[in-house]
Parts: sequence; structure tokens; C-alpha cells
Amino acid sequence: MTIPVELTKPEAPELEPTSTPAPRPATLRKRARSAVARSAAGDRSLTVLIGLTLLAAGTLVALLSYGVFGRGRSRRTLLDPVIVDALRAQPLLARLVALAAGLLLLGLGLVWAARSLRPERRPDVIVDGGADTAIVVSSSAAADAVAAQAGALRGVGHARARFVGTDAALSLRVTLWLAEDADIRDVLARLDDQVLTTARTSLGLAALPVAVRLELDSSTPHPRVA
Amino acid sequence: MRVLLRLLAPLLGLALAAAGVLLVIEVVAVWVRPAATTGLVVPWPDWRTISTTLTWSNTPVPAVAIGVAVVGLLLVLLGLLARRSDIVLTAPTPEITVTTSPRVLARLVGRHVRATDDVAGASVTASRRTVAVSVQGWGKADPELRGTVRNRVKAMLDELPLRRRPRVTVAVQDRKGPR
Repeated sequence: MTIPVELTKPEAPELEPTSTPAPRPATLRKRARSAVARSAAGDRSLTVLIGLTLLAAGTLVALLSYGVFGRGRSRRTLLDPVIVDALRAQPLLARLVALAAGLLLLGLGLVWAARSLRPERRPDVIVDGGADTAIVVSSSAAADAVAAQAGALRGVGHARARFVGTDAALSLRVTLWLAEDADIRDVLARLDDQVLTTARTSLGLAALPVAVRLELDSSTPHPRVA
Repeated sequence: MRVLLRLLAPLLGLALAAAGVLLVIEVVAVWVRPAATTGLVVPWPDWRTISTTLTWSNTPVPAVAIGVAVVGLLLVLLGLLARRSDIVLTAPTPEITVTTSPRVLARLVGRHVRATDDVAGASVTASRRTVAVSVQGWGKADPELRGTVRNRVKAMLDELPLRRRPRVTVAVQDRKGPR
């Protein structure tokens, strides 16, 4: 059975913010920016790298076969006897190089596939409860509590929240579905003032970078004919 | 684009891994049974006989090379274009980042434009830099409609806490059909 977590401001300052000092504003801004969405930088750079390799190889071979590098060169066979002889002279080296290339491709490909298939981490929140006590609030419980409070704000239809990042550097991602008459500035100010401040104090976090995503609530359809 | 990248990236990774496995298998197979004349999984001895007779200028070679180059170009474009098109809003404190999608901005602008009586219909496209509104007036086109819609959209954008104010372009079209 799961007990819904209620985030309230502590009456007395029992929960001191964790002993680590708050990070600099620039660091916080960077962490908040990276919490906006899962990063696709690794996928993108590897795709560009493979694309560039294929593009360069294809272009060079096409130029070679149209005789740009000389007529004689384009009339040689694909597997040049010179290269075959060189490989035959050093069979052990050739095999070791081929083996290393194969293992490298295998490792790179598996790491890449695993990285892009792995789901994004949902770190738990660890509240410092005293000298030898650590209270772990599960990621979904803390996030649901934040989402429930954010969803109760005026102008917000419903809200969703989740924690991202690592245990040492937590960030929060909040998606707000705004009602039709919502004042965005007002909603954001009250989100910071009421929900996020409460979350920081009650979870004992010195700093909590937040990425807010705004969407429009489509539950009230706009009449086509007034 | 990002969805395509998310689909394609693991497949590319697995294809690289599969190529590596095949290479390792064939090299080890040649090492342990040097007398064999066929490959274990890949018929590479056949490829070798073909490639000792084929020259670089023979028919399939340039076509295949151009195909490979085109695939590479598509991958490069996919990697470069799969960036986020978020619209950034100003946040109350530096540790908060507020973003929204262009579609949300377009819906907000469209709702605002359609809410007035002198507009029969409107379609809006938005991006980080521009908001393009195409409105239909009632019957004969009002020459001032363009200016009023433009000012209205600008005033509305001023109220939103946008980090970067997009440029507003308005096009007026005649309404077709009866009122």
C-alpha cells in the first residue's frame, strides 16, 4: 500500500537544508535547462558522425570511379593486388587489426543502443533526518505530491511532475496544462512561491532546479459557432 | 525529426554491433580453420572473387557510392535538424526554466484573434522567431483589418512573458462562399 505524501512547510525548522551549500545561480540555471527534456545530444552527434563517414566514403568512391583521381586509378580492381600482397605479408597483424575493429564496432554499437534505449532515471529524494537516519522519499511519491499541489493552483487544469537528474543533483520537471483564462505570469509566480518553495523546504533541499513546460488544457473545447 | 532519431539511433547502434560481431566471427573462423573455402556466416570468399575482377569504373560501383553518400547526407541532416523548437519564457527566479511548444503559442494567438467580431476565421503558425497569422474577414476585405489584427496580436504577445519577442506577420484573405 502506498501512502500519498503531503508536502507541508515544517512548523519548526527541524529539517535543516542539507549541509552542502547551495550551488551558484549559473549552475542552477544550467541544471534547470537540462531538465527540460531528455537530452538527445549523444544520439545526434553519433548519427551525424556516421552520416559524415558514409557521405565522405560515398563521395570519394564516386569521384574515383568517374576518373577524377586519374583514368588509370579508376581502372584498377576493387581489391587491389598490391593491398592483397601487403596483407598476405603480415597475416597476423591483419587479423589482429580486423579483430580489434570488430570488437570496437561491437562495443560502440552496444553501448550506443543501450544508452538510447535506457529509460530516463527517476532519482529518489533522500531527506536527512538526523545524525544516523536517512529518509528516502520515492521519486514518484514526491513528484505526485508536487503535481497535486501545482494542479490545485488557479488557472491550472492539471499538472504532472517528475524528478530527473542524479541523487546528488536533483531537478524537477513540471508540466502544467493551463486553463483558458490563465494568466501565465501569475501562475508561474504562484508556482514558485507556493509549490516549489514548499517542496524545497519540506524535502530539505538546498536548491531544486525546475523546468516548467506549459501546455494548454483541451478539456474545454472552444465553441466553433458563438 | 526527434521521433525519427529516437527510433533510428538504437537501430543504428545495433547495426554497428551486428557488423562488429560478423567481422569477429569471420576472422576467428579463418584463424581456427585455415583450409576452409567458404565463410562461416558471410559468403566473403565470393565477394573477394567478385572484387578482384570488378574495377572502380564498372557499372554498379558509382551508383552504389552515390547511394551511400545520399544515405550519409540524410543521416547528417537528421542529426542536425532534430533539435528542440521550444519557445522560452522568462521565469520568476533563475533556477526555473519555462518553455512551451510553438503549437501552444499558435493556439493562444489563434484563440485571441478569433475572439473578435471582425474576423471570420484565422490560421496561425508560430516559431521562436515569427508568428504568422492568416485571417479571413467578412465579405469585402476591410483595408484596415490587417493593421488591427497585427496590433492586437502584438499587444497580446507583449502580455506574455516571452524571452524573445517574435515578429508578427499578418496576411488577409477574402472569405469565399456566403456569410
